[in-house]
Amino acid sequence: MNACTQCTVRNKAICHSLPEDKLSELNRLGRHQTIKRGQALVWQGDESLLVGNVLEGALKLSVSSVEGREQTLGVMLPSDFIGRPFGATSMHSVIALTDAKVCTFARSAFDAFAQEHPPLEHGLLERTLTELDRARQWMMLLARKSAGERVAIFLLDIARRHSAEDVEGSLRFELPLSRQDIADLLGLTIETVSRQITRLREDSIIATPGRRTIEILDLDRLEACTNEA
Amino acid sequence: MWPYHPELLATPVPRYTSFPTAAEFGDHVGPADFEAALASTTGAVSLYVHIPFCKTICWYCGCNTGRANRSQRLASYLEALHREIALVGRLLPKSAQVRRIAFGGGSPNAITPTDFVRLCLSLTQSFSLEDPTLSVELDPRTLEPSWAQALAGTGVRHASLGVQTFNVRLQEAIGRIQPIETIERCTALLRQAGITSLNYDLMYGLPGQTGDDLAATLEQARDFGADRIALFGYAHVPHLIPRQRRIDATALPDQAARFEMAAAGHAQLTGYGYEAIGFDHFARAHDPLAQAARSGTLSRNFQGFTDDPAPVVIGLGASSISSFPNLLTQTEKNAGRYRMMLSQGRLASNRGIRRSPDDRLRGEVIKGLLCDGRTALPASLRAGAEGLLRPFVERGLAYWDDEDLVITAQALPYARTIAAKFDPYRQSDARRFSSAV
Repeated sequence: MNACTQCTVRNKAICHSLPEDKLSELNRLGRHQTIKRGQALVWQGDESLLVGNVLEGALKLSVSSVEGREQTLGVMLPSDFIGRPFGATSMHSVIALTDAKVCTFARSAFDAFAQEHPPLEHGLLERTLTELDRARQWMMLLARKSAGERVAIFLLDIARRHSAEDVEGSLRFELPLSRQDIADLLGLTIETVSRQITRLREDSIIATPGRRTIEILDLDRLEACTNEA
Repeated sequence: MWPYHPELLATPVPRYTSFPTAAEFGDHVGPADFEAALASTTGAVSLYVHIPFCKTICWYCGCNTGRANRSQRLASYLEALHREIALVGRLLPKSAQVRRIAFGGGSPNAITPTDFVRLCLSLTQSFSLEDPTLSVELDPRTLEPSWAQALAGTGVRHASLGVQTFNVRLQEAIGRIQPIETIERCTALLRQAGITSLNYDLMYGLPGQTGDDLAATLEQARDFGADRIALFGYAHVPHLIPRQRRIDATALPDQAARFEMAAAGHAQLTGYGYEAIGFDHFARAHDPLAQAARSGTLSRNFQGFTDDPAPVVIGLGASSISSFPNLLTQTEKNAGRYRMMLSQGRLASNRGIRRSPDDRLRGEVIKGLLCDGRTALPASLRAGAEGLLRPFVERGLAYWDDEDLVITAQALPYARTIAAKFDPYRQSDARRFSSAV
């Protein structure tokens, strides 16, 4: 029985390059974990650092400051690879923003396996570089972007990563998070987030056909909103 | 040709990559000092990340480095390093902005490209990065093509290759075999990856090396298009660096031959259009290092001569040194103890020295002499130095220009010796330092 054949993110996950027999080998090194909203992802009873594939839900990577304040370092969505090692002995933690499923590996075991399988090793390098790009954009967002820019960047990022469908020239997707979660992530108040979404709707840049459904009507103008200065 | 005065070069002197030098470090400095210095830091900051591993160990090397032969040892070192990055990042105020990150070793490419990107990720998430210039030291023998992708993706623009010599016979004599094709391939790889400033580390004074050997290596380095060249004299100190016992000391050039090689190398490289930077670096006119030298903003830190003006350098990794205006502090050298301290969430600094106002004053004088060949001298220091400097002034190697002490253009090989006259910690101590030339 190989759980990987039924994996919901198999085609987009880091391990997609592996043939079936190698996939089951890798599967034996990993562990499927289901975590509830608000819980931190750890591998109980093990001190080692972890990496993992997001299968379902949304998670955030965060770090606590000296004063105990928590800073968000990014959002993880299905098929994302959490390559930034985290775990009980790291100062970084991965916390579920919704109920989530993750397939985790001890970093050392995953790396050793990757070293013997060049396509996976190459995938690992590419995923880690993507994660670096996202981290750089995220830190930039928190350091110097206006509220309007933050919301526009967030919507675009989710659209690009969250299997956005192209419906007659527009991009439609479900927001994986509540407005309160979005506000926390972006370092804004919930009122500000709602105000910015309303503004984008009134300018006909987006539509909000459902409570959590976003439709991007004008991609060019939304992109322009990510860089107002 | 430089004038040769062996009597003035007889006493070994420090390289003054810091003042006071690491020889003055004691164990009275610890984590609390480091933490306080971090907390009061603001403005421009540079980071130095130490990777103390190499795939193979060269016989001549004095670096704190071990063999990267067990992946578990590397992995646990990197775990500790990630922890240290997060810990130091939390202690540093957000107003401290990182403008430079240098990766050195050892050989940073002893770790995998993915592990290198992970370090960049940690640094991005732990510090306020201000579009920093990234630089990396690389071992050409183990520079896999995937490294080019990692360097391009992380945005590294400055790289330094350990070339040492192109001569095969000399490579064998120092236990570092790297065919010329390897350097050619690496250079092309690095240019494709977007490296705009490429340095070659080269050496003179190697066992069996002749003037012709050096000239051929310098010509090859020029032909391969190095933007910078660091030309170091090989320091044979087997009583300090046991691995050097494998080198045949009887074949080492004597001091006169070393002096001649340094002088000829200087003449050859400046003849090619390289500008001489300090006493052992050379750079093409377009390179930031040459620009800094021309504008009088050249500085000196643990990596040598630099265009980095940051007043604070924070070292990360075992044996790395952090430099603050009031403090120099070094992290635990032993990788095992380093890992243990970080696993307990503690800073691992365990040596150093607090810099007194007098240290800082003398440090500026020494830096000015080595970087600019000139320094304004407060009367308080001039009085004590005049007698010590007389042999140099009498030989036309230095002169007084009002308040300034100036080292003449011909006296470059004496710069360290002249600077040492302002170092009150230096007593006659023949064993601890390398020869000035």
